[in-house]
Amino acid sequence: MTTALLNDDKIAKIGKASQAWRDEAYSCHKELKKKYETLSGFEIKPLYTPQDLRDGDYLRDLGFPGEAPYVRGVHPTMYRGRTWTHRQLAGFGPPEETNKRYKFLLNQGATGINGVFDYPTLRGYDSDDPDVYADVGRGGVSIDSIEDMRILFDGIPIDEVSVSLVTCQPICNISVQSMYFANAGNRGVPLDRLAGTSQNDFLMETAITIAPGVTPPKVSFRLSCDAIEFCTKYVPRWNPVSFSGYNYREAGCTAPQEIAFMIANAVACSEELIRRGYDIDSFAPRLSFFLSAHNDFFEEIAKYRAARRIYCKIMKERFSPKDPRSLMFRFHVQTAGVALTAQQPLNNIARASYHALSAVLGGAQSVHVDAYDEALCVPTELSSLTALRTQQILQSETGVTNTVDPLGGSYFLESLTSRMEEAIGGILTEIDDMGGIVKAVEKGWIHGEISAAAYQYQTRIESGEMPIVGVNCFQIENEKLPIELFSLPETLKIQKAKLTRIRKQRNSAESQRVLDALARGCEKGQNLMELLVDGVKACVTQGEVSKTLKKVFGVWNPPLF
Amino acid sequence: MSKRIRILMARLGMDAHWRGSIVVARALRDAGMEVIYVGNQMPANIVQMAVQEDVDFIGLSSLSGNHLELAPRVIALLKEQNIDHVKVIFGGTVAPGDIAELKKAGVAEVFGPGTPLKKIVEYISKEVTESD
Repeated sequence: MTTALLNDDKIAKIGKASQAWRDEAYSCHKELKKKYETLSGFEIKPLYTPQDLRDGDYLRDLGFPGEAPYVRGVHPTMYRGRTWTHRQLAGFGPPEETNKRYKFLLNQGATGINGVFDYPTLRGYDSDDPDVYADVGRGGVSIDSIEDMRILFDGIPIDEVSVSLVTCQPICNISVQSMYFANAGNRGVPLDRLAGTSQNDFLMETAITIAPGVTPPKVSFRLSCDAIEFCTKYVPRWNPVSFSGYNYREAGCTAPQEIAFMIANAVACSEELIRRGYDIDSFAPRLSFFLSAHNDFFEEIAKYRAARRIYCKIMKERFSPKDPRSLMFRFHVQTAGVALTAQQPLNNIARASYHALSAVLGGAQSVHVDAYDEALCVPTELSSLTALRTQQILQSETGVTNTVDPLGGSYFLESLTSRMEEAIGGILTEIDDMGGIVKAVEKGWIHGEISAAAYQYQTRIESGEMPIVGVNCFQIENEKLPIELFSLPETLKIQKAKLTRIRKQRNSAESQRVLDALARGCEKGQNLMELLVDGVKACVTQGEVSKTLKKVFGVWNPPLF
Repeated sequence: MSKRIRILMARLGMDAHWRGSIVVARALRDAGMEVIYVGNQMPANIVQMAVQEDVDFIGLSSLSGNHLELAPRVIALLKEQNIDHVKVIFGGTVAPGDIAELKKAGVAEVFGPGTPLKKIVEYISKEVTESD
């Protein structure tokens, strides 16, 4: 091949010389560890040379940014043309309080909103449900009805700022996203002006953040596709799904599993939308991905690059899209929460900085940096601000944005990128052989894979093989906590009072009509978001919607242990 | 040989994180204990299942921050039913100040983030030996 990096003669010479170097070096030098491998178990050699790229073909395998296979980035100019979005996750307590935090972050230079919802909201429970009193306002903001959505975005220019709704589970997404769209309608902002993303990943509901009484995998998958279909028709600037590899990884996955499970999920959604009559290019450009930035710096960069290459290949092979945007793996990154330590929490600032650096060297479109206190509590204003500043320092002070894909061509990184791609491909074949991702969830295969990987990870920490500063080395005895912890504002009372008022004031015949129509829509296979974007204006609550769905579809017990 | 240690493991309330509880459950099973993993539950169900399953321990897990409201409730219900020989242990994300409060409420031991699995296994084995 004319585009091969080096000719065979040169490679042979380098091979010989590097063997000689190796013999010489290892005759008199010892290594500190018996084995060198990445976090996900790829073995690492002491040195990489052009020999490792001997099968490579520059134009075929790497190419140019903005061109297939997009290894070097999805945009031609990457951060020289446009910086990544600084999208810090925020959400706690009642919407009145989170609204203030959003405004604070935007005033401090955040360039997007990333809203997370509390545990009851994510699971489809109203705040006054007797099973949820201890969790209202925890882990995110509480949203019961469209009234809460109004308060959450009050005074925020939703026609200008892009908003990510971390709805996690389709059962939450179907009503919360509908409330967001309905609220925009009430504010006079047309749907085609809205820019943003919803998480809406059925794996989140059925395998990753399992709740009591989840909808069966097929149903959850359908709800996810309903939202994709709705946005394809009416909200063209919205990313209706954000396949959440981040959370798969947090639950225990390895790096190649993280990517493979997401791509399998994206393939399944694409097949379903095509089955519903949509052209691949009408929705695929809006499929988006959410990845973790974990501890192993080079492995993560290789992961981002490999994901772009294999996704491009798979989409091309399976769906032959005409629009190049259908081939682009665009992603948001969150620094790994699971890598943070409760011990010596300020060390987490250093950790998250390295994580964020890997995301940027890997070509992320948008980044969230974890706050230093997240192994202990919801971030305080100070810890959120420090996290945002970490991004701003990375972007404006370090110079890493000056050239596109600065590590492209590294012997080590290119080799690791190729091995990562191979491993991802292997897992995808396995899932295909099972009949796809929905089947893999139904039979508990995904759960087994993740929990086995999580167990292995923990074993490696405990054997000391994986050092974690402050946990299994460099500990401080009787450490005095050096930070102030967040305390949750009053939420339950406020949410309950609003619910009582709403239930009293709404037109109950009208809200009942919405729920009845929803139940019929479930049975008839109608697109449920089509019903709900109007329906939630009648102040039906999130819990009422999910109860209606569960009544029709039943619940499923995930095979976790 | 003494009978196998039986432990009921539950995630409290709406908590979303199963990783820690499953990893601990596997470690306890590998150590020869019988683990009954019941997923997300509210206190009344947890206690009812503990009675049905005749367990020695209840392992509660939560990372959501609901522990001060729900863990003491489990203990109160155990007392109400006169089955306070069942020991309750807790694992998850807890602010250091909350550990004392959980213990005051009757939680036998609290295992925070970063606790080695070995420590949990040893703790349970030792407690059982001592009460035999």
